[in-house]
Amino acid sequence: MKQTVNNRTGGIVRNLALPALLILVWQLWALNLPAGSPAPSPVKVVQTLGELLSKGSLISATVQSLGRVLMGFAMACVLGIALGLLMGTIRALRENLDPIIESFRPIAPMAILPIAILWLGTGTPTALAIVAYASFFPVVVNTVHGVSHVDRKLILAARTMGISQWTILARVVLPGALPSILLGTRLAMGVAWTAIIAAELAVGAKSGGGGSGGIGQMMFVFYAYNIDLNAIVVCMTVVGLVALCIDQIFKVLEKRLIPWRQEA
Amino acid sequence: MSKSSASQLLQAYRPMWVSLRAFAGFFLLWWLLHLWNGNPLQLPSPGKVFEALWVLLREGEIAEHASVSTVRMLLALGLAILVAVPLGFVMGLSRHAEQFIGPLVEMLRPISGIAWLPLALFIFGVGDTLPVFIMFYVGFFPILLNTVAGVRQTDTRLLSAAKTMGVRPLPLLLYVLVPSALPTIMVGIRLAFAASWAAIVAAELIGAPSGLGFAIEWYRQLLMTPKVFAFILAIGVVGYLCDLGLRAFQKKLTPWTEGSGIVP
Repeated sequence: MKQTVNNRTGGIVRNLALPALLILVWQLWALNLPAGSPAPSPVKVVQTLGELLSKGSLISATVQSLGRVLMGFAMACVLGIALGLLMGTIRALRENLDPIIESFRPIAPMAILPIAILWLGTGTPTALAIVAYASFFPVVVNTVHGVSHVDRKLILAARTMGISQWTILARVVLPGALPSILLGTRLAMGVAWTAIIAAELAVGAKSGGGGSGGIGQMMFVFYAYNIDLNAIVVCMTVVGLVALCIDQIFKVLEKRLIPWRQEA
Repeated sequence: MSKSSASQLLQAYRPMWVSLRAFAGFFLLWWLLHLWNGNPLQLPSPGKVFEALWVLLREGEIAEHASVSTVRMLLALGLAILVAVPLGFVMGLSRHAEQFIGPLVEMLRPISGIAWLPLALFIFGVGDTLPVFIMFYVGFFPILLNTVAGVRQTDTRLLSAAKTMGVRPLPLLLYVLVPSALPTIMVGIRLAFAASWAAIVAAELIGAPSGLGFAIEWYRQLLMTPKVFAFILAIGVVGYLCDLGLRAFQKKLTPWTEGSGIVP
């Protein structure tokens, strides 16, 4: 009994050892820098976090970015799932759209950004377009995959029992494809969050700090105007935490929505 | 020429014909949209874009930027493989090492490569190092995670059999563990490529004086939209070709299996 407790505490110590050591080294390194150096240090990062939180700018920027991600993601989901269901069930549609979707897939969302700026300006619509573009592909590809891997026998059985096409789609095909669709949306949300940061950063960088807002823009302002590296590290941490939360939410959702199938 | 061989021929060329038809439809749609839009700065006609593409190809501008980007990508991916694969083996083989390094990896992984841009810009400045660093960071995690998974997936019976026969650690590593983990590692490398190719555009767009991402943004600022489209096309094509090359390499290196990787 004592042995296992020892093992467990040993495990926790080992878990925390490297991050703690790195933070310690970082702090010691920062202490030896000449005064007035912009280099970040753990203590200053925590102080900056407190300041930014009390001012409220950090939270409002994060909320703004999250709102954009959700909007763009919702657009991509509606389009991607609808199109994916149609492509999965109608062969001719799949054959004709597949080459086009596959050839757009290797084009990074950021490559579309200059065109999006030309079309939609430097505000929220551009950010939405980039997010929707980025998250569209995982959703549509995984929906098609899910639909085409639904058990044929189930569909045939439903058809034999005289169930209408739409009911089959809603009650047989959709639940059958759900695990794959959810995987697609989870991947999509991950890319969407990355894409919004990139879009806000680049819009900030390339439009002379135009007021697009959001946490990416905030980071760029801290880089280009305030030169506050501590604040940049704070923003990076927030970006990471949000990504982590999004991923966890989707994992819980997957467990709730598809309790009958547990696979990675 | 019998009738059946003619239909066989038709069958063989059918996918090509379908793609051709699909793209014809796509370009027709594009052309109609361009007529409706009526602003060549926003949406040039397909013909104008191909003209620009031809000019850029003939003058070698695309080849120049594409080779710069590809070299950066190869460098970053090579570095990521050099670091992540051995580390993955260590983490896959030793519980303790995994307990040490795992938490740090899990802390850093949610912070997307893009979010490092402002800090990296400050550290490295605008130049070659920045895109290479970002791509290294982005490619590192898929390779590491898939290497760990690949090592863990090794059939314990194989390991026990080899150990019973008195195989020494080094041959055990080279002849049992590496071949068993290689397919999964290759999947990781392909995922890493996809991620870093998407990140290079953002990195070059903001922080490099050359490369495909830079060229896109450069021509947007000059309002030479056909050239912007041409470079976007080039990004897609180069990305597609690299993936094709990696697939061929994967088949050659691990002809026995495709490998089922994990998507981080």
